Amino acid sequence: MSIFFKNINFRILSLVPLLLLFFITLTGNAVININFISINILYVLVYFWALKLPESLGNGYIFLGGIITDVIFGLPIGTNPFTLLIIASVASYVRNVTVRITLINDWISFLPTLIIANFFYFIILYLSDYQIDYIYLLKNSIFTFIFYPILWVFFSITLRLIK
Amino acid sequence: MDTGREDFGIAIRSAFLKKGTQQRFSLFALLILSVFLMFIEKIETKPLNVLRSIIKDGIYRSSTIVSAPAKGYKSLHSTAKSHFFLYEKNEKLTKEIKELKNIKYKNDFLVLENTQLRKLIDENASSLADLINARVMIDKQSPYLNSFIINSGSNKKIKNGMAVTHGKNFIGRIVDVNFFTSRVLLVSDLNSKIPVLVEPSGAQAILSGHNDKELTLDFLPKNHQVKNGDKVYTSGKEGIFSPGIPIGKVKMKLKKANVSLFSDLKQVTFINIDVGVKK
Repeated sequence: MSIFFKNINFRILSLVPLLLLFFITLTGNAVININFISINILYVLVYFWALKLPESLGNGYIFLGGIITDVIFGLPIGTNPFTLLIIASVASYVRNVTVRITLINDWISFLPTLIIANFFYFIILYLSDYQIDYIYLLKNSIFTFIFYPILWVFFSITLRLIK
Repeated sequence: MDTGREDFGIAIRSAFLKKGTQQRFSLFALLILSVFLMFIEKIETKPLNVLRSIIKDGIYRSSTIVSAPAKGYKSLHSTAKSHFFLYEKNEKLTKEIKELKNIKYKNDFLVLENTQLRKLIDENASSLADLINARVMIDKQSPYLNSFIINSGSNKKIKNGMAVTHGKNFIGRIVDVNFFTSRVLLVSDLNSKIPVLVEPSGAQAILSGHNDKELTLDFLPKNHQVKNGDKVYTSGKEGIFSPGIPIGKVKMKLKKANVSLFSDLKQVTFINIDVGVKK
């Protein structure tokens, strides 16, 4: 009986990243703005789970989440799927080359990921004739990087419960 | 050195091409698909537009459903909050009603006088605009596009470029029309440029958004007489919007003409769409 409940518990918990992905994208909360602070939690979510437990967040779901974000935010369809998949790719690469994963390792490797993702984001929006607030983009990147450890702790607790 | 390069190649190949456990698609295939989607986004054909419209309508509806509990909590919170200040509010409103009544009497007289004067110069004094009402479905502001989704689309004959008002105040224009929904690009967005008229000086300018509360007046004439408190209206020059829709008032800051909007864009629930000019 206890094994049965443990299995159910495990299955529900393993859906948390997926549910979070769709909740964040459908409610339009991919980017959280609080006064001066702006954090892209979708980037952190995709990076963390693609790095730690890729089977919990399928590539197809990441793609779908990106499309929903594009539609909700009114961006050219394909922008967010491309950026999120780039993040997932870098995370996958980091997973392949890293032996011991710690918060510091993750945090440091998240910086180039963020730069690459935002570079593509900027290029796509520029080519689609969207005017971009460069300061905002920079601010968003900086705060996403700064707040990464807080979200890392939250996701790590979930990961521990899944495992 | 060669081994290092090989390792790098293997890691890259593994990251992009290898499908992990329980992964149906490789990252590389999905990246290619994303690029393909971006390309077909530029193509305007009827079947593609219908498909886009169906997908967008579906996502907007799902978003409204998923966001419903949060919205419900928000409105419950504001209702509870307003109940605490009921007495104070009532007193304030009674006072305001008295003042407004006085203004109304004066206004009635002015309207009458205005109609008579217009008749004298043979001008049609009736309202020119044909308005459609709609409700805001999703007001989540994108970091790169200040816009919201409304619950009317091509089913109500809404078209791209139509002016959107909150009450009588201009707040934006339609930029994307689906069958049941449309996207309104707010006047505060970085991509918004509206031809306007500043009264009483009569100066023409372009009102530009900056993803901020305050907008700016660009391309004002060199020796303009624009000052603090001047009213800004649509000029109707581009031929899409009706002329004379109020937008906001001027706030001069270091010789720069800023404009603060009459409507608070965060408090918009119902809007009107100017679907054309009746003649």
